[in-house]
Order: sequence, then C-alpha cells, then structure tokens
Amino acid sequence: MSIAVRFDGIVKEFGPVRVLHGVSFDLAPGRVYGLLGENGAGKSTLMKILSGYERPTGGTLHIDGEPRSFKSSRDAEAAGIVLIHQEFNLAEDLTITQNIFLGHERKRGWWLDEAAMRADTLRVLRQVGLDKDPDTPVRHLIVAEKQLVEIAKALARNARLLIMDEPTASLTPGETEALFTLMARLQADGVTIVYISHKLDEVERTTDDVIVMRDGRFVTRQPTRELTRHQMATLMVGREISDLYPDKDPAPTGAVPLLRVEGLTVPGWAADIAFDVKPGEILGFAGLVGAGRTELFEGLLGLRPHQVGRIELEGRAIRIRNPRDAVDQGITYLSEDRKGKGLHVGFGLRENLTLMALETYATPWLKPGAETRALKTAVQDFGIRTGSLDVKAASLSGGNQQKLALAKVLHPEPKVVILDEPTRGVDVGAKRDIYFLIQRLAREGRGVVVVSSELMELVGLCHRVAVMRGGRLRAMVDAQHLTEEELISHATGTNQRDQANGDKPSEEESMTAGR
Amino acid sequence: MVDRQLDQPAPPRFQRARSLGSRLHAVGPILGLVLLCVAGTLLNPDFASLDNAMNVLTRTAFIGIIAVGMCFVIISGGIDLSVGSMAALIAGMVILLMNTLAGSIDQPVLVVAIGMAASVVLGGVFGLAHGLLITRGRIEPFIVTLGTLGIFRAYLTYFSNGGAITLDDTLSDVYSPVYYTSVIGVPIPVWVFLIVAVAGALILNRTAYGRYVQAIGSNEQVARYAAVNVDRIKVMTYALLGACVGIATLLYVPRLGSSSPTTGLLWELEAIAAVIVGGTALKGGSGSIIGTVIGAVLLSVISNILNLTSVISVYLNAAVQGFVIIIVAFLQRRK
Amino acid sequence: MKLKKHLLAIAVTAVALAAPGAAFAQNKVNLGVAIPAATHSFTAGIVWWANEAKKELEKANPDLKVTIKTAANAGEQANQLQDLATANKINALVIFPFESAALTKPVAQVKGKGVYVTVVDRGLTDTSAQDAYVSGDNTAFGKVPAEYIAKTLDGKGNIVALRGIATTLDNERMDAFNGVMKAYPDIKLLDAKYANWNRDDAFKVMQDYLTRFKQIDAVWAADDDMAIGVLKAIEQAKRDDIKIVFGGAGAKGMIKTLIDAKDPRIQANVSYSPKFIYDAIKMTAEARLKGEALPATTIIPSVLITKDNAKEFYFPDSPF
Repeated sequence: MSIAVRFDGIVKEFGPVRVLHGVSFDLAPGRVYGLLGENGAGKSTLMKILSGYERPTGGTLHIDGEPRSFKSSRDAEAAGIVLIHQEFNLAEDLTITQNIFLGHERKRGWWLDEAAMRADTLRVLRQVGLDKDPDTPVRHLIVAEKQLVEIAKALARNARLLIMDEPTASLTPGETEALFTLMARLQADGVTIVYISHKLDEVERTTDDVIVMRDGRFVTRQPTRELTRHQMATLMVGREISDLYPDKDPAPTGAVPLLRVEGLTVPGWAADIAFDVKPGEILGFAGLVGAGRTELFEGLLGLRPHQVGRIELEGRAIRIRNPRDAVDQGITYLSEDRKGKGLHVGFGLRENLTLMALETYATPWLKPGAETRALKTAVQDFGIRTGSLDVKAASLSGGNQQKLALAKVLHPEPKVVILDEPTRGVDVGAKRDIYFLIQRLAREGRGVVVVSSELMELVGLCHRVAVMRGGRLRAMVDAQHLTEEELISHATGTNQRDQANGDKPSEEESMTAGR
Repeated sequence: MVDRQLDQPAPPRFQRARSLGSRLHAVGPILGLVLLCVAGTLLNPDFASLDNAMNVLTRTAFIGIIAVGMCFVIISGGIDLSVGSMAALIAGMVILLMNTLAGSIDQPVLVVAIGMAASVVLGGVFGLAHGLLITRGRIEPFIVTLGTLGIFRAYLTYFSNGGAITLDDTLSDVYSPVYYTSVIGVPIPVWVFLIVAVAGALILNRTAYGRYVQAIGSNEQVARYAAVNVDRIKVMTYALLGACVGIATLLYVPRLGSSSPTTGLLWELEAIAAVIVGGTALKGGSGSIIGTVIGAVLLSVISNILNLTSVISVYLNAAVQGFVIIIVAFLQRRK
Repeated sequence: MKLKKHLLAIAVTAVALAAPGAAFAQNKVNLGVAIPAATHSFTAGIVWWANEAKKELEKANPDLKVTIKTAANAGEQANQLQDLATANKINALVIFPFESAALTKPVAQVKGKGVYVTVVDRGLTDTSAQDAYVSGDNTAFGKVPAEYIAKTLDGKGNIVALRGIATTLDNERMDAFNGVMKAYPDIKLLDAKYANWNRDDAFKVMQDYLTRFKQIDAVWAADDDMAIGVLKAIEQAKRDDIKIVFGGAGAKGMIKTLIDAKDPRIQANVSYSPKFIYDAIKMTAEARLKGEALPATTIIPSVLITKDNAKEFYFPDSPF
C-alpha cells in the first residue's frame, strides 16, 4: 500500500513571482522524510502541489511512476496523499465522526449511515490512540487531540502518504512523544511521511532522510544520521551560521528591580504569582502548554480579570487596569498570537508600527511623514525585509511579520517588555536576529521577559528562568543551573527537589532556590 | 544584523500590479457616478443644469451627513439602524422645544439657535446611549439600534398623536433660510455637508482617533492588545454618528417645518447603502469618507434621473435603483 | 350629507338571512373594532375617530360595549380578531382591514361564529365574509379634483400629478382622474410619479418636476401631506406659473388654510375623512341595538370642499 513520488522539474509561479524553480527529487515508499527550509524556501508550496491544493506551472508529478495532475485536494486524497495543515481544517462545531467523514459521508440509500461511520471512527481513533467518544464536538478537544483527529481523518481516507506541517508547534513534550510513537507505527504500516519542522532535534529523532530546500530549489537529500543539527541549519541557510545565541552578558546584580509583581492571580489560570525583573535582565518563563504563562501576563496587563497584590515599577507602586495604563507606565506586551492579537495584517506597515505610540504623532493631526520616517528607521533597526514600505503586513513573511510586531511593541520605548513566544513560526535566520535584538534591549537597560515553549532558547538567552506548572510558579532557575533537563523536570513536576517538598513547594522556597 | 537574502518579499512588479487593482476598485463609485451623470444628461439636458445639481446636492445633504457618521461606525465594525427614527424624534422634540420656548422668549432667532444646538446635543446623547449599551452592556449593535429604531419612532408617534408636529409660523419664517438660502450660489445644507465630509475625512485619516477606529474594525483583539481603549473609541464613534444625525436634523427641520411618523423612514438603509456603495466594507476595518459622499450623491442622482424622465415605468423605479447599486458594487468589488 | 346606496337585492337578502335576531329590540351589543395603529396622520385620525365614537355611543347606550384594537400589521390584526371573538365575546365587529386578501379568511371565521361584520374602506376579496361594507369614495377622490382642475383651467393647460403607494386604492383614484381628463384633450398630464403619501418624497418629486417642466398650471398632489411638500418645493423654486395645488382627504391643516384663504393656490379640496370609521361604528351599533341589518354597501361620498363648506370638514381636535 505504499506510494512512490517523483517530482520532475516542478515550477510554480504566482503572477510574475517564481517560487519554485524546477524542483526534482523522489520520495521512496514507507520512509519518514524531514523537509527542511527557511520560511519562503518553497517547501509549503511544493507540498501543496503534492496534495492537490496548488497546481504546478511547469514540470510533472509522478505517482508510482505515472504522471499525475491533481485538480483538487480530494483528487490527491483519492490517490492516498493527505496534507495535515498547521492550522487545522476541522469544523469546530461538528463531532469527531462528522469531521472525519466531512465531504465523504457514508450513505445507505438517501440516508446517512451513522452507525457505519461511527464504527469506522472508533477504529481509526483506536489506531491513533485517541480515547474519545466519536460524538464529541471538536470544539471540546485540546490542540493535541485535534491533531490526532486530523491524522485519524487521513487514515479513514486510506492515506498512504502523510504530510505534516509543523505538527508539534502547539504540543507539550508528552504529546509530542505520543505523536512520534504514532508516526513510527504508521511507518511500520507502510505509510510514507513528510515531516516539515523548524525543530531540528525532532527532525533528527524521527526521520530517515532529510531533504533541504532553499530559495525555491532542491538542495540535498541525505540520510538523517549522517548530518548534525548544525549541518542541517547550515544547509538551510546556505552558508555557515555562527552561533545562534549571543554571548550572555553577566546577570545584573544589586540593582533595584525595574518591575516587581506580588500576589498576581488570574482566576482559572494562575495563582499568587510573584516575580521581579532587574534593569538589563532577561527573565524567562518556562512551562508546558496550559501552565498559565500567557494568561498570567494577559492578567497583568488588564486583558483578563485578575487580582494583584502589588505592582512596583522602579520602586513605586503602580496600577494597571488596561494595556493603555501599562504603556503609559512603560510596560508593553508582545502576544504569542501574531495574527489574532499582534498585528493588523490588513494594515500597512506604518500603521502597525505606530499604533501603540500613536498619540506622540498626533498634534492633533497625524503626520504621515514622521510615521514613514519612523518606519524607515524600524525597517533598518529590526532588519525587516520588504520590497516596499507601502505594503500590507500580510505580505511580509512570517519572520518579518514577527520583527514588525517586535518593532511595534518596542515603539513606545518601554522600560519593561514582555515577549510571549517571540520566535514562534520563524526560521533559523530570523530567530538569530531576534535573539540578538533581545540582548540589545537588555543592554539598553530595559527589563526583558521572554515567555517561550522552546527550552533551548530560554537556556541560551536568559539570566533567570521562572518555571510554571498548573498555574503556579514552581521554580526560579538561575544561570548556573540553567539546563533543558532542569527546566523540564520543574515543568513536568518530576524534579527531585519539588518532589521532596510534596510537589507543592512554597513560592518563597523555589524562588530562593533559584537565586 | 546578518546580511542574508531570506524571507524574500514579493518583487516590486507584483506589488505594482496589485496597487493598480486596488486603485481601480477605489474609482468604482466615481466611475458609476460619472456614467450616471452622462446618462442623466442624455435623457434630459436639464439634468446638467446648475439648479438641478444644487437640488440634488441639497437633498443628499441629510443622508450624506448621516452617512459620514455611519462610515465611522461601520469602519469600527458596528452598525446603527436607528438613524432614521432618531432624526424624526430629534426633529419632533426640537420643534416642540422651540414652540414652547417661543411662548416665553421673545426673540425667535434665539429660540431657533437654541433649537439647533439642542438638535446636535440630543443626537450626541442618543449616540452616547447607544455606545454605552453596546460597550458596557455588551449587546450587539444590531440589536441595540434595532430596539431604539422602534423606540424613537414610537415616541415621536406618541408626541404627535400620530399626526405631524409643526413648527410655529413665526419661527418657521426665521428658521427656513437655514435650508433655503444660498451662500456664493451654494445652498447652506450643501456647505454644511461639505464641511462635515472634510472634517470626517480629516478625523478618519489624520487623527489618532480615526486610526483607532480603523484598528478596532480591522481586528478588535489586536487593537485591544495594542493598548487602544476600545470601549471609549466605540462610544465616541456612536456619539459622533448621533451628532451627525443631529446636524442633519437641524437642516431638515426648516425644509418642511414639521416632523411626522413618516419622517426619516428608511434613512438608515440609505445611509448604510451610501457607505457601502462608496467602498467601505460592511465588516469594517477600512473605508473612505470621499467614497461615502460619492455613494450618497449617487443614490440621490438615481432617483433624480428617474423623476426627470418618463422612459422607465414608474413601477420599475425601485428596480432601477437596485440594478445601479449592484452594478456599482460590482465595479468596486475587492479582488 | 350621507348618501346611502342600496346595491344588489341579493346582497340585502343575504344580510337579512345572516341577521336572524332582527325581531328583538334593544339587544345587548358587544362591538369589537379592529383598526390599524396610528403610524401616520390618516391612521391617527382613524384611531381618534374610533375613540370618539366609543365615547359618545357608550354614554348614550348602556347596552353597548365597544372594544377597540389597533394593529401594526395584518398578522397582528388577524390575531386580534381571534381574541375579540373568543376572549371579548363580541357579537358585532367593525373592521378596517390592513390588507384585503390576507384578512378575508380571519374575518370569515369571526362571521362564522355569528358575529355581525361591517368592513370599512378596504373591501374583502370574498364579500360573503362581511355583512355590510362602508367605504370612502375613491372614484370621487380622483374625479372631483379632475373636474375642479379642468373647470378652473378652462379645459386647457399643463398639469402634473403625484401618486401615493402602488395599491388598488391609488389606481382607482388615478383611473378616475384620467377618466375625467379624457374629455379635455387640451389638458396635458405631463407625468404622474409615486411620492408615497410622504412630504419629503413629494418635495423631491416636485423639485424635479419643476426642473423638468417650465410651465405647469396645476398640481394634483392627491394628498394633503404631499401637497405640503409640493408647496415648499414651489416656494423654493420661486415659480409663479402654478395656479392650483389640489391636495386631498381634507386634513385639518389644509382645511384651515382654505378657510383662512392663506394660499391662493389652495382653493379646493376633496373630502376623504377618517371620520367614516366613526360613521361605520355608529351605524353598526345603532342598527344592531335595534336588531336591524345595515345596507350591504354604504359609500361615504367624497365631495368637493371649497371655502363655502370648509367649516363642516374642520375638526380641530382630531389629529388629522
């Protein structure tokens, strides 16, 4: 039941822009491939062609030796090729069964054959290891479960080649492990898997071969075991990259904390949290998905209902009722949800950049000239790559959108900046740029809070890392003890010291332990 | 920063093609208006006369002024269905107020001035109430204004016993020049319309408030996270529309000197249509005051042309308006 | 001034059969009145006159009870009919139907329960659902102004007309107007456009007439509200060619203008008073109290109002 794919000189143009310049390579059946490339390298477009969402401008796609041209994703599905999108394609209000058979409903005469569909759903759910009632509405599932439903959907359609785009982006380590186990099982069943990810450690663990694309061209295909992560990154970028992280500056000492928070509670998400940030310090926040980190800071900014004991900025008590108060005090927040909360993708770059500091441009009339000058400066400072200053934010690539979002929250010149997942969905090169930017911010004497699910970057970047689990601050790890293992152990509750304390260490203890 | 050629932006040629497309969509309403004017002139040469142009513009003034305010509300992602009823009620209340004051104040000019001020204040207060119900009360704008649509008109009907509320003759004589006088050959309502439109365009495009309105309509969450005081901006938007309704009403009252339960019927649809025909998306986020003005003029030109000819059966007038609206919407549709 | 016209003998027979209680004198009468709500000045007049009738008649007749229901649309009116029949237990009904077709069945049901039914103004599609029909005279509403205008212009001149809302009622009036004008080939009807019985719309239509036609001798505004808009438009254009503006229905403001001779263009009007609801209620109540039937059809005539008889049509307390 395996499937062999050959790309032969695939060319794709969007209007006058050529994004694939004649890509040729094969995918042998029953193997797991890691497809690597920076944002804009053309890997998503190629996979969309393979799965019938796009049609090539030139070149031929061979499936099992036959030239094929899919007219739609349905066509490709019929041939056994299914793409699982990064943003899921599930109808939230329909049940698991209804989603799995959406557009492929079984019928008996004029009527839907509910019993047969339910039975088949149970079968594929068992296959992917999801223990849920098939009649559960998808809305009630967590992200990892939705992912499993997507895979189950593919299996129900007899997928022989599965393309997964950043499947672990929103998964916890435990869920990621489960996914890897499932992938191994699928491979054993003869399913070919194309795995697209920026997370090189995962690629290293799960794939047989690595395929690298760059600038719309095929670069290489090599067995995974013959490559180091560093070599993979170098192949993606096209030249040797120096260290991803800047050299750490020594942790600032002795200074009065820039921001001090005590007794912050966000009902349902975070309880009685206290922390502080010194000038020039980079403070990390680690934790699993659902640990309450994002909600904690949304509460701090007045975006969620919350209670707070005391907030001090440079030693004096302040009140923050809404984000406006925060900006006025010199605290800004970059949301993890770039499209939903971070940027107006339909707006121009200029309008996005100045939105948080617009009052400084209004006297009372706005000065487009001054705004444009600010944009020019920001484009230079933040390395935002754009053909013209006069485009919409949506036309930027993911990494450049993120840089614009960063420029936006830094535009009011905050004293403290809270960056939630600052490198989510950006490629290696842009990540490096952002890390160096964060260091620059700290060197300028600002307090920087970095909330991240990528433990590597917290370890590589931060002076101290606070770890949250189940809505509580469990540990404050300082630079000497900062390792991925340490953070994971606190985040998952397997740390020896935490266990010794009956899994409920008082905040004070864990804080002092960190210091 | 490291110098690399990643994250390639679309090359300039592509950009230019797109901006040409967007420019075409911006001129859609103008194109429609020009074509209509050519058609009107061919059907009846009197259409092109200055007098007729002024008639049309003066008529458009009420809907046009309301549409400018409506444009802000729609761009912010809201809607106001009550404007027609609100205008009728303001007209009725202001007339009653002036008639009452005329008994105690012996200066008709002062009475009229108070009436005019009251008109704008009443509009602002009604709009403010809408805004507070929508933001603090967390009720959908469609529902709030559908409710007040009925409430405003019912109160007018109640005040007038179902008949008309009519302005005293002496006051009417003092007040009517506000509608009927021309300054430099242009009637006062047209001047006011022009001033409101220019002010509206400036506020929308050149003030922080205007930018916030667009930001909220484009994505309310993003605006909230970007420290925009969403509730306050929304309330201000409805109050602004209310004030626009007040201004339109203070021009309307001197025309007929009366308000009745049929006053302002369906104005809300005309105002919303003017905004949308002018290229503003009903879902909010972006829009244009100039487009709105053109949209409003376009709508009244259609009925003007129909009145000036007998080519088309009177039974089909509404159909012609429908066709023209759809065609203009087609011309300015987004790709 | 009330001219009662007996029509078809068959209809009268039907009425007699449907009124078996004719033998008793001074019956108890529980009269229901279903009318449109006061949404514009004419319907406001209807509501006012109905309440006048209730006040007067209940005072004069202890055996009479009048229940008035106002409805905003046909559906609501149909519901009210059911309520009147079942909850209020009426035995006589006067109804001003919102729409002819939609209310025929509901009225028939009420009649089926033995209620005596008088229909006012808009006839039902099936006349067997009613016992009596009282109506204004739409033919005269078009004919009277046509005759007046033709006579005043000496059978020669340009006229424009405004129409209400496209309904059978409006068509009847327009047809009657045109019928008269056929006899005057030198009078040219330049155009007749809809202005929805609305002042603002009439203002706009008249403005455009004035742009389009350089010589207009008379305007048939066909409604007093529309006449107000027409006069304002003429005033604004400063045109003095128009000699007659003929409204219609005899709203109190226009009658006052006529009495005071305030506007030389307003010399006549035609009656179509909401008072006919008062007449219908009174006739029905009085007939039923005596156990009698009404004639099958009663037309309240529309007559020419001039300065001489204007006082008879002036009701300063009515909203209309």
